[in-house]
Amino acid sequence: MKKTGIRDILYEPPGPKARRRIRVVTALALILLAGLLWLIIRQFSLTGQLDARYWSFFGRATTWRFLGEGLLSTVEAALTGALIAFAAGFILMRGRLNRYAPVRFLSMAIIEFTRGVPTLLFIYFFFLVVPQMGLGLSAFWKITLPCAISACGVVAEALRSGVNAVPKGQREAALSLGYGEIRLFYQILFPQAIRFVIPSLISELVIVLKDTTFASVVSYADLMQNAKVLISNYDAMLSVYLVVAVIYILINFLLNQLSEYLAQRTKRSAAEGRQA
Amino acid sequence: MSLSVLLSKYGSLYLQAMLTTWRLTAISFAGAMVIGLVITVIRVCPIVPLRYFGDIYVQIFRNIPGAAMLILLVYALPYLNMNFSYEACVLISTIMIPSAFCSEHLMSGMNTIPVGQIEAARALGFSFLQMIFRIVIPQALRSCVLPLTNLLVATMLTTSLASQVPMRPRELTAIVSYINTRDVGGVLAFAISAVLYCLTALVLGQLGGWIDRRVRILR
Repeated sequence: MKKTGIRDILYEPPGPKARRRIRVVTALALILLAGLLWLIIRQFSLTGQLDARYWSFFGRATTWRFLGEGLLSTVEAALTGALIAFAAGFILMRGRLNRYAPVRFLSMAIIEFTRGVPTLLFIYFFFLVVPQMGLGLSAFWKITLPCAISACGVVAEALRSGVNAVPKGQREAALSLGYGEIRLFYQILFPQAIRFVIPSLISELVIVLKDTTFASVVSYADLMQNAKVLISNYDAMLSVYLVVAVIYILINFLLNQLSEYLAQRTKRSAAEGRQA
Repeated sequence: MSLSVLLSKYGSLYLQAMLTTWRLTAISFAGAMVIGLVITVIRVCPIVPLRYFGDIYVQIFRNIPGAAMLILLVYALPYLNMNFSYEACVLISTIMIPSAFCSEHLMSGMNTIPVGQIEAARALGFSFLQMIFRIVIPQALRSCVLPLTNLLVATMLTTSLASQVPMRPRELTAIVSYINTRDVGGVLAFAISAVLYCLTALVLGQLGGWIDRRVRILR
């Protein structure tokens, strides 16, 4: 587990009395947590949910291939959604930093709108309203586009904070070297900004991935939907949903760890850069 | 369908839906704050197993998709002889997921507290719990008003989960799908809910900014 500064300074090395107290409370806590675990397992076994028939099919390759296919569709939707969100967010960020006030205002309104409306509402919009307008989209786009729309505002704000984090001297140096506004942005500001914001872009990918679990609304065959097929095949609701939830948690956990690692690295190299 | 027809036919439903969203948001956020605080104290206490429990709790609930959690609660828990109402399932999801994020914000809020504060408290003979509740938590809370405001808005957006189960009364997202299955509500039915969400988010954001300016500790 990660070490946080506050944890290390909150107390000094305990004396003999405190050590004894800590040992007693630690033992109590262990008993409590073990008791909790025992209660959960007991509930599982009392209701027969530990029976082999609910779990044995996880030993079959077909089960995992099927779940893997669903996962692949989930990843496909999430990555596509994230890419669209990045493109749209980039445009919105450019608009937000535009020199003309109406453009700035419009971009800001769009950003606030996408940030203030739940993804599910966008999904229902694409599911119910878009077909009324005579636009036939496939299930893939009905889940991908709303996820992208609801993420693009956050992406725009993240990119903007990255651009603002680039030291002012960079801009001034480039301008005095005769760079135009466009070259300044694409060759000097943006390449530096993107390094700052990669961690928050990864966190946003996690949010998009979570949002794709609503794919069942538009019946797109993602991990969640494939789980439902497994459930009806083996009549095993609890075990399948638990395994699927664990898969989602693990993927998001790893992505978050990656984002944290990259954030630490950027911070370190920035600190070294200042010393040099 | 024109705005006036839509509002005269479904206006009261929209009002009820908005109040439902507000109610769910208020309960969820209050619950998330309380649990988030408890989990945060557990994560910094000297009892190692409890620390791990807190860390694992946070990792589980900040990484689980809301839909997956709600489905587990609604459809899978009855197999363990645990039956909750739809509203209870929604609230459990919309409390526990934000509580993990709340704890993360509080942890980073704690990290802004200078070491001198802790040392001073220790020199004055504060016990661990006294130090946590009189020195650390109040300062941590004051320095993370803005992240917590964002969390409040995120919690409101999470309450749209309720549209995935037949919960009554409907909230702002469920009302849109309800109207569209009975009438051709079109863009307008959707826009009304969207605007109500946005206005609420805007007001909450302003309120959070105002509180932040008043309580933020300038270091």
